[in-house]
Amino acid sequence: MTRDELNAYKLAKEAHEAELRNTTRRHFLKESAFGLGALAMGTMLGSCGNLFKSNKNSVVYDPARPLLAKPPQFPGKAKSVIYIHMAGAPSQLELFDYKPELMKMDGQDCPPSLLKGKKFAFITGVPKMLGGQASFAQHGESRTWVSDNLPHFSTMVDEVSLLKAVYTDQFNHAPAQLLVHTGSPRLGRPSIGSWVTYGLGSENQNLPGFVVLTSGGNFPDAGKSVWGSGFLPSVYQGVQCRSEGDPVLFIKDPDGMSRDLRKKSIDAINAVNKAEYEEYHDQETLSRISQYEMAYRMQISAPEVMNINDEPQYIHDMYGTQPGKACFANNALLARKLVEKGVRYVQLFDWGWDDHGDQPSNAVDIGLKNKCRSTDKPVTALLLDLKQRGLLEETLVVWGGEFGRTPMMENRNGHQNPYKGRDHHTEAFTIWMAGGGIKKGVSYGETDEIGYSAISGKVSAFDVQATILNQLGFNHEEFTYMSQGRPFRLTDVSGKVINDIIA
Amino acid sequence: MKSRKTFVLSGIIILVIVTIFYSLAKSEKQVDYSLDVKPIFNKKCISCHGGVKKQSGFSLLFQDEAMARAKSGKFAIIPGDPDGSELMRRITCTDPDERMPYKKEPLTSDEISTLRAWIKQGAKWGNHWAYLPVKKMEVPDVSNEWVRNDIDKFIYSKLDEMKLKPSPVADKATLLRRVSLDLTGVPASQQVASRFINGKDFEKDYQLLIDSLLASKRFGERWASTWLDVARYADTKGYEADFYRNIWQYRDWVINAFNQDKPYDTFITEQIAGDLLPNPTDEQFIATAFQRNSPTNDEGGTNNEEFRTAAVLDRVNTTWSGLMSTTFACVQCHSHPYDPFKHDEFYKFMAYFNNTRDEDIPNDFPLFRSYDDALKTRISTLNTWLTVNYPQRVKPIMLFLKTGQPAINSPTADDFENAYTINNNGYLVMQKNGIARLARVDMEHADELIFTCNSGVKGGILQIVDSKRNGAIIATCKLPQTPRGDTTLSIKFRPQQGVKDVYLVYHNPSLKDKENGVRLNWFYFTQQFPGKGTAGYALYQKIYWDAITSRPQTTPVMVENPASMSRKSYVFERGAWTSHGKEVQPGVPQSLAYAMPAHAPQNRLGLAMWLTSKKNPLVSRTMVNRLWEQLFGTGIVETLEDMGTQGTAPTHRELLDYLSYQFMNDYKWSVKKLLREYVTSATYMQDSKINDKVKEKDPYNLYYARGPRIRLSAEQVRDQALAASGIINYKMFGKAVMPWQPAGIWSSPYNGAKWETSNYGDAYRRAIYTYWKRTAPYPSMITFDGTPRIVCTARRIRTNTPLQALVTLNDSVYVDLARHFATRMEQEGGTSATSQIKKGYELLMYKPIAPNKLQALANLYSQALKEYTMQPNAAAKLMATDTNVRPQKAALVIVANAMLNLDEIITKN
Repeated sequence: MTRDELNAYKLAKEAHEAELRNTTRRHFLKESAFGLGALAMGTMLGSCGNLFKSNKNSVVYDPARPLLAKPPQFPGKAKSVIYIHMAGAPSQLELFDYKPELMKMDGQDCPPSLLKGKKFAFITGVPKMLGGQASFAQHGESRTWVSDNLPHFSTMVDEVSLLKAVYTDQFNHAPAQLLVHTGSPRLGRPSIGSWVTYGLGSENQNLPGFVVLTSGGNFPDAGKSVWGSGFLPSVYQGVQCRSEGDPVLFIKDPDGMSRDLRKKSIDAINAVNKAEYEEYHDQETLSRISQYEMAYRMQISAPEVMNINDEPQYIHDMYGTQPGKACFANNALLARKLVEKGVRYVQLFDWGWDDHGDQPSNAVDIGLKNKCRSTDKPVTALLLDLKQRGLLEETLVVWGGEFGRTPMMENRNGHQNPYKGRDHHTEAFTIWMAGGGIKKGVSYGETDEIGYSAISGKVSAFDVQATILNQLGFNHEEFTYMSQGRPFRLTDVSGKVINDIIA
Repeated sequence: MKSRKTFVLSGIIILVIVTIFYSLAKSEKQVDYSLDVKPIFNKKCISCHGGVKKQSGFSLLFQDEAMARAKSGKFAIIPGDPDGSELMRRITCTDPDERMPYKKEPLTSDEISTLRAWIKQGAKWGNHWAYLPVKKMEVPDVSNEWVRNDIDKFIYSKLDEMKLKPSPVADKATLLRRVSLDLTGVPASQQVASRFINGKDFEKDYQLLIDSLLASKRFGERWASTWLDVARYADTKGYEADFYRNIWQYRDWVINAFNQDKPYDTFITEQIAGDLLPNPTDEQFIATAFQRNSPTNDEGGTNNEEFRTAAVLDRVNTTWSGLMSTTFACVQCHSHPYDPFKHDEFYKFMAYFNNTRDEDIPNDFPLFRSYDDALKTRISTLNTWLTVNYPQRVKPIMLFLKTGQPAINSPTADDFENAYTINNNGYLVMQKNGIARLARVDMEHADELIFTCNSGVKGGILQIVDSKRNGAIIATCKLPQTPRGDTTLSIKFRPQQGVKDVYLVYHNPSLKDKENGVRLNWFYFTQQFPGKGTAGYALYQKIYWDAITSRPQTTPVMVENPASMSRKSYVFERGAWTSHGKEVQPGVPQSLAYAMPAHAPQNRLGLAMWLTSKKNPLVSRTMVNRLWEQLFGTGIVETLEDMGTQGTAPTHRELLDYLSYQFMNDYKWSVKKLLREYVTSATYMQDSKINDKVKEKDPYNLYYARGPRIRLSAEQVRDQALAASGIINYKMFGKAVMPWQPAGIWSSPYNGAKWETSNYGDAYRRAIYTYWKRTAPYPSMITFDGTPRIVCTARRIRTNTPLQALVTLNDSVYVDLARHFATRMEQEGGTSATSQIKKGYELLMYKPIAPNKLQALANLYSQALKEYTMQPNAAAKLMATDTNVRPQKAALVIVANAMLNLDEIITKN
């Protein structure tokens, strides 16, 4: 061994020791080693591979490798999640929930029984009923009802489970989106993607573990809080990848700096840091050295995975991509590329589904159809593409909004809106799930004959969250994090796994 | 064989004797409830027998509950009689249906004997240390060379117990950088630095250094950054569109407060209740914006009362978590699972904050009006005139001029006909023949309505109608077109009586049906300006009206409801704001009520008196702990958000109490004095090198055998780079600025606001002045563990991630700063690259660079120089210019960029 090699060996050994020590770091031990959290983490981490065998509390949070892949509490069927959120809340009555009785009531005054004691965001006085503005047919072997707004998706119904009786208690966008993604309608809790990457780490250390892609021209109404890390360490917040500008913020070397020079610069930084370590022996310095190496690798991997140009033409055709533009189709293709590379949680938001009918672009018979046209094909392509690659079995795909729409036509401030639109509605909407151990070709839950209320198979946002965690191998009641003196759960004090849709 | 047996036997006998002796000795040991018993209860019992669940009617949370008869009729605990105590039987019995903890691991034999001994000794209940008043502590009797002040005596005696030795004082350069970054958040100026480095009398020079840092304007900016996390200060409102909130005067108030060393008790009092102080100053009003930093929701169709309530809950939680390290939020839904707070006590406490005028309306009323100097002077003459002639009118008139209160907000109107509130929660809009009601208006003595309207059409008429839609007309007023937007008008009428409904009726023959005529904002029913017909009336009435119609800078503040608008407060069953339980009055939890001063009023001012009472056990400890954490990286109690029984135990409880007592008494709540004590301790001044023994025994430096070494905060990372580059703009105060950020970060729906990079000077201001948008915070700051400031953040958790590396490597801001830094290195570092690199390092570290480090950076320089000599285009690109660039300059920029990324640079050592 040369002297340099010896030094390198010594450093590597110390780095390893540092890692071991970091696993018992006070910061995160305290947070996780109490009460229920400790039980959950104990189980979760008990079988954590050889490297950490000696320490039963290991890899709760390893600051040197915070995203290191970790096993779940029990073997899960899904390894990653793609959550497609149609922000604004699409109308179930024009997509999945076929209600011929409602059609018969079209244009009639809403019966008082549907209004008494109810709160709406905009409806005031007595609105008119509005029949579904789409034609429906049954598709696939499962004979699943889908409207003609989704001609592509209707070919895939035998792959999915539709939850047709989802309800919420939030009828404003931001709180309702927060509830869906963080388990609380108020700001400040970690998002489900943060929980998942905290619990499972990521399969690919050269990419962020939790990636967010947005389309439709705006962020979701609740802003970045729906992919925030709340009280979890900030490393678990969603990293927004962008189709314009840097794919990940600050991933590109400065203009005029070559890759080679960047490599040399990181080598120089780390050489100085090593000298610093030899003087002060601070473990944090060793962590920093490895973070800089990882940053360098991420600079290569992230733009690679975010570049869709190398995909074959048939893939572009299948998704209907528009290379170089920020659009949902590109994001759907990126979602597949990201999970293929081992990213744990991919969150898509598409904005513009808030169909009140105060202008054509948000009328259920105009704007909604356009939104469907731009998303139906890519969503379907994503399912097909995952399937043909054998990834659908281990990737859980979820599609939904934050609440439903009223069977009544909106009459804002007491007047009929100029176009056909529906107000926010809490009592019934549709979410579907596919892959990741979910039953195929199932419609679960039912609403009444006009689609106003759920009458059977009711599920809440918490139930959907519990089911997602279950598919990943977590008992949502035991997956906790100590904060503000108590163990917190994603599902707060609610949530039941929807066993009827689990294969 | 025999001998061996004997040997074994005698061994056993000895063992038995020892065991008996040991157990005897142990049973004689006095068991301490807080230290020995409460942790067992918390861990093993309280999840079923505590504040959330009371299985079998038995709870261990409060003494009276624990000692009471359980549902079974038995006493779980009979003091002095462990054998008769049901608790002992249940934790020791073998029947799995009876044995506690139910269906869980049994208690260990140690735990069982502790509980037995505790009951035997009389089951003395105790309180958690943090809920007991701060006592004056004896300073340990330690004297040696190392000790500099009393802090060190506490630290040393603990180190001694651990058989650890403290470290010597760090070298001058390290100490200088450490204390400058800690106290002011930026490196000390060259002048201050060289005076210290070149000084001959270390002790005296260090004191002078501390003096100048504490006196620096930079001090307030650095400590305000910390406080603003507690205060969840941001420049936007939070939900959906996340609109701008003009509240920066509060941030400036905090900076000034730290710079003036406003005593912490006054600091708290003004923020909690500045508006309720006698004759509050403008600054005292602005201070109350502390509690107006709560997120509000302007989204269409939201229920204003729901989000007003959410804001009030947020104020309660901020007060407890930020000022008192207590996790009070638990108590919102049920009694605290571990700590002595009952469910209804949350709502009693909430009642303190439940009676302010804010109502979650889009324009954020009440707003404090900061008049310009000319108007301020005129208003003060008005004040004098009123005081002499109409003393009883001074208060209401001055309150109205300063805050526009108590006005009725138009979103509270109801009973509409041809009228509506925008999105069900905004301004009142009247259409042709519009009618709307203002319910339960205090009209006693009122003979004038001052209100604000906005109308694009001529010919409008507004009538004020008494009690019902077709009631008597009190007054009629023509509404003009208002080309300047919201316009304030007055209608006078005969004096009214009592509290009654008022209807507003709008007519405008020029409108079509359902066509909007006017938008109304607020309504202020009052008495006419006094003194009509007397000398001075015209002059002072004009000042009054000029002030009302002026458009000054405004800040959301707290203003208490007058009696006629006061809200009742209720317990929310299971925490749900819609299920009202019993009515409650303002009050603090019983377990801490002892700290309430006898004469304290039952409002926010009384609350402030309780918080700042020297008997309050939490406020002083919390601030002492927070300041300690800022300097040493970890608090004496690590969980800054929780000093309760579930928080981490203090590493140096006596020291915490000693300092908390000092802070309140000897230092009279002076933050600067306390910080001086910290930074002049040998504990703080130590070298931070880690030796093997320390590494083994205290890897996380909980006992302080070495000095602090922690990564800089998000703000410090930016400010240090700005300062080193020589480009920093130390302009203070004012509206938030927008340094460069990548495109596409802001994209809130229904919000057209754009990030527009501030011009030259403002882009280089300290991090504290950066625009803080809650739903899309400044990216590089968040990456370095800054918080979105949506809720009170008692403590930032430090992380170390590749995304941080990407910020300081590639963010255009840091590339730009590297260019400036390189320029400075060239200007001040002589002609050779080596000397320039040396200079750069010294600018950052105040000390010469070690040869091996210099070697690494000089190598990088030569490699870069080679590349840029061959590729002049790349050099130009790096410098963001079209003109020719010297390859030497470009190469130095690469080195400067690397230097701003060094571990030792982004670490405070």
